[in-house]
Amino acid sequence: MKRMAAAALAGALVVAIAPFVLDGYTANVLVRSLLFGVLALSVDLLWGFTGFLTFGQSAFFGVGAYAYALTATQLGVDGFLLPVSLLLGLLAPAVLALLQGWLSFYHRATPLYASVVSLVVPVVVTQVLYSGGTFTGSSSGLTGYDMPDLSVPQWLWLCGGLLVLLTAAAAVFVRSDAGRLLVALRDNEMRCAFLGIPTTRLRIGLLIAMAAVAGLAGWLYAAYSGVVAPELAGFDLGTQAVIWVALGGRGTLVGPVLGAIGIDLTSAYLSGSLPFLWRLLVGLAFILVIVLLPQGLFPAIGRLILHRRRAAPVAPPALVPAATATARARGEALAVSDVARHFGALPVLSGVSLRAAAGELLSLVGPNGAGKTTLIRCLSDGTERSGGTVHILGQRLGSLPPHRCVALGLGRKFQTANVFDSLTVAECLRIARATIDRPSPWRRAGTLALPDAAMEVVQATGLDRLLGEEARLLAHGQKQALELAMVLALDPALVLLDEPTAGLTRSERLQIGGILRRLAQDHGMCLLLVEHDLDFVREISTRMVVLHQGRMVLDGTVEEVAASDLVRTIYAGEPH
Amino acid sequence: MNRTLLAAVAAMALAAVPAFAADPIAIGIPVGLSGANSVVAPSVVQAAELAVDEINAAGGVLGRKLVLDVADDGSGAVGAQRAFDSLIYQKKVNVLISMETSAARNAGLPAVNRSRTPYIYTSFYEGHSCSPNMYVDAWVPEQQVPPIVDDFMAQYHAKKFFLIGSDYAFGRGMLGFTRHYIEKKGGRIVGEEYLAMDGTDWTPILSKLRSSGADALITSTAGGAPNVTLTKQLRAAGINLPYGNLAVDEGTAKSMGKDATGIFISASYVTGINSPENKAFLAAMAKKFGADLKTPNDLSVPEYEAVYLYKLAVEKAGSTDPKKVLTELGTVSFKGPRGVIRMNVQHHAPLTMYLGQVQDDGSVKVIRSFSDVDPGAQCPHLK
Amino acid sequence: MTLVLDIVTTAAILFAVSAGLLVVFGVMKIINFAHGAFITLGAYAGLLVTQAGLSPWLGLPLAFIAGAACGAVVERIVVRPLYTRALDAILATWGLGIIIGQLLTLGFGREVQFVQSPITGTLTVFGEAYSAYRLFLVLAALAVGGGFALLLEGTRLGLNTRAVIMNEDLARGLGIDSVRVRFITFALGSGLAGLAGALITPLSSVDPAMGVPWLLNAFMLVIVSGASLLTLALATLLLGGAQVLVSTLVSPILGGLTIVVLAAIVLRLRPAGFAR
Repeated sequence: MKRMAAAALAGALVVAIAPFVLDGYTANVLVRSLLFGVLALSVDLLWGFTGFLTFGQSAFFGVGAYAYALTATQLGVDGFLLPVSLLLGLLAPAVLALLQGWLSFYHRATPLYASVVSLVVPVVVTQVLYSGGTFTGSSSGLTGYDMPDLSVPQWLWLCGGLLVLLTAAAAVFVRSDAGRLLVALRDNEMRCAFLGIPTTRLRIGLLIAMAAVAGLAGWLYAAYSGVVAPELAGFDLGTQAVIWVALGGRGTLVGPVLGAIGIDLTSAYLSGSLPFLWRLLVGLAFILVIVLLPQGLFPAIGRLILHRRRAAPVAPPALVPAATATARARGEALAVSDVARHFGALPVLSGVSLRAAAGELLSLVGPNGAGKTTLIRCLSDGTERSGGTVHILGQRLGSLPPHRCVALGLGRKFQTANVFDSLTVAECLRIARATIDRPSPWRRAGTLALPDAAMEVVQATGLDRLLGEEARLLAHGQKQALELAMVLALDPALVLLDEPTAGLTRSERLQIGGILRRLAQDHGMCLLLVEHDLDFVREISTRMVVLHQGRMVLDGTVEEVAASDLVRTIYAGEPH
Repeated sequence: MNRTLLAAVAAMALAAVPAFAADPIAIGIPVGLSGANSVVAPSVVQAAELAVDEINAAGGVLGRKLVLDVADDGSGAVGAQRAFDSLIYQKKVNVLISMETSAARNAGLPAVNRSRTPYIYTSFYEGHSCSPNMYVDAWVPEQQVPPIVDDFMAQYHAKKFFLIGSDYAFGRGMLGFTRHYIEKKGGRIVGEEYLAMDGTDWTPILSKLRSSGADALITSTAGGAPNVTLTKQLRAAGINLPYGNLAVDEGTAKSMGKDATGIFISASYVTGINSPENKAFLAAMAKKFGADLKTPNDLSVPEYEAVYLYKLAVEKAGSTDPKKVLTELGTVSFKGPRGVIRMNVQHHAPLTMYLGQVQDDGSVKVIRSFSDVDPGAQCPHLK
Repeated sequence: MTLVLDIVTTAAILFAVSAGLLVVFGVMKIINFAHGAFITLGAYAGLLVTQAGLSPWLGLPLAFIAGAACGAVVERIVVRPLYTRALDAILATWGLGIIIGQLLTLGFGREVQFVQSPITGTLTVFGEAYSAYRLFLVLAALAVGGGFALLLEGTRLGLNTRAVIMNEDLARGLGIDSVRVRFITFALGSGLAGLAGALITPLSSVDPAMGVPWLLNAFMLVIVSGASLLTLALATLLLGGAQVLVSTLVSPILGGLTIVVLAAIVLRLRPAGFAR
């Protein structure tokens, strides 16, 4: 935190004295470079932090620029019209971003697809500007409109101040509890969704915010330079912004900003004399960095010069008990009726009906390919099943996306440990609580509230001593436990667990088994457990269901099922 | 080794013959060394270099030497701002003389106006760009289009015209005027189609052209690939209407080979102009650049003449004072390869226009010439 | 009638241009953004043949070889380290495209140049005179598609490739050298890009940036098609057809955007695109 404040101060100082030491030309070019720095910052937040590789931020820059130029040519920018124009410069890109976001982000959209759409947007915007006749000035762009009466040093202070301010704000935000959400999205979007986080809305929201930031930069660009042209919205500028960010160092905020300013300034001096060679060199540097130094130049140089190690870890928050909701209703937790799932003509599940009450620990067994995981999917994601109905705590599942299913009171633990690799244990748990305890967008809370069940898992497995550890460094069993704790952090009434003990040692398995039993008995949760290990299942379950070739073949007490001939036959070839 | 060194020293000594008293006069040339204009830019720079050499060899301007400062504008707005800023604020040039895309010119104008630097724009363009600080010595649609349209109506009795262009300011500006002119002359437009600026597949437009029953075709595309692909696809589709191309130059026509045969062009400069000034100019260019010579064209010759026009204006004004020079730029005249050039009509210049047709060997044969074609009312509020 | 011919020939051109990209995407799951540059490279190979005064037909194999050779080098140096970083591979190949473009500029200049066409004039089809070369391109596209089908279905390499497409881990487990399959695939894909470059230039011209406008359309077509040449053929016919229709009936400018916009919307509504 201290280092950040020092960096911001240094930045502000540089901006303050810049006009006095720079010659007119450099100051002039620097204003534009600073605005490109703002553009790069918006790309870094999207790409470096949430993993959305966008080629299209230039579209918002361009729309912001035309917002100024068009209001200035059509209406003028005197008096109250200037704020009107600014508002347009923020709103128009935001609306466009909403459209792009709707196209790019939806349940099960791939990152590649989002990048594809980001390519289309600037192409379309540029074409619209070309076709705009005298209104947009077509290829010639617009010029000769009124500009705010500021001197170059004033512009330098304005744009430099804005850049320092935005970078500092971004730095505060990404280090805050809410900011960790961006990294969680990048690391594991599915896990986020199954923690009830509206990932789609979050991504669209961030894109809109970043569109407004890029739009603001474009608006200032038009106001400063007195000219706009379609290339300001073009794909070329969009890819250039990506190059700045990659070279500077994605996910470092300062790196991309310096990358943009450095490359743009250098090209202002070099490209005049060596236009083709300059582009060749930038291309070469770009490939080298992508292949050999993916984290970019800024972090690499920083390490080289300062020999600095990772920043001292922030002290992890103290764990406190969360106010658990009301006493759990002891009614029916899950009602499944005639659920089917097929892929094309291939049925994977058909006619599955099932009921489970609070306090039950129901085990789902069956050989590989019986459809167990598919059933779990159909229960936790309304868009999965091909037929039948599902009720959770008496509420229809309908075709709700995962985060809405979770809101019904459902928790889902995946087969392989699904945590946020680059976050610490405490951060993972806080993300899991995000829908209940709104994380602060500007600071880190000193405490972390967890409901009893989650607290018990954390304490029993020793995670409470590892709160500051990054999740990717945990042992396999600890990761499984962490994910379970994350699922329980939402205090769900119904928990779906897909082989929670896969790959665990015997003692770890016993420990988890004990915890699960207590969740059902003491906390009144309803647990649906997919398991291979019949002995394990027998020890902890209150009831068993057998799935075979996509159909339910048995539903009964542990003794009934375990003793049945069918189960013996099915499991005859199985290792357990 | 020694001999080359000696030769170099001798050459330097020769070049430095006239002794110049005061600081040199700097001419800034922002031009598209990279990007869309990079094909034609070298010929523009060469023309300027020749003019400067000739003037310096004859004693310079008011006893001061001329020097050139070339800056790449990347053929676009962002690069042009940088190039203009660099020339005006960093290099502090006395004048800007250059051909540029309309986007680059517009991007440079704010800096020109703020610093009150005289600017001579030497590229033909779609017209109506006005600034008290800018003069234009190249053609506008009012000068270029009528020869082709008149000829098609007279020689081929064309009534129905089809227009094809690239979707950008020049393409739309030229064809907008063409439509207006044809309709004024009693002709009819049976189609007006545009393709995106980087588009190269003209197939659907050609299909429309074929079914339109047009008597003649006039095109105004972006230079380079779009222009060439249109012509090639037109020929491959077997279309042989009278074809006027508002965007082709001699060099491109030559490199297109037999596909270009028969195209009509309208220009203020073709290499075949039979005047002593043009012959002397071509000889001097060939002598100076030898094997590296870029064929002079309708964009480079106005550059050459503009340098002379500036020289004359400075001499008449008695100084490089921008205000005085700007007044005199509208009064001086220079007899160059294109004839007598005087930028006295609302900062634009009446020009002699040539209607030519591309021959089998790629050369352009002048069919008719029209002297002193007026640029019309380009900037009514400028005198 | 002309409309139908326009649609078919446009689809053929799009197919030829996209096939190489599809092959690489299908096997390696990465998008080769240097595809446009390889197309340009092939066009310049055709140019060299024209400049040497040889038969224009020679340009086609030469373009394929140039593309494949360049692709092989690139795969080894740039693409291989990025197998697991698909988005980074897009970036690195994009940078590569810039480099190839600039090298071509330094070597050949920025001028627009011309390649001699192996076939000129028109043919009369259904009573309409139509560009013979465009009709030839339909044959060429069929040959490219057919050749690949043969390669995939009829050879050992094809079998291995299909195995890698379906399940790379399993294929490796079965002793298939997936690294080699990827290497050959990338070289083939690049070669096809080169070939496409040589195929389209007689209709257009050669300049260092000529491949880039093709890239976006090819890219969208490939994403929509998934990993099959058959769906690619379908996609080029449908979207290419839409492009011709919009260009003819509405405006060629909108026509230029048709493929990218339609493809984006198709993918939004049906994430699997035209693949099943």
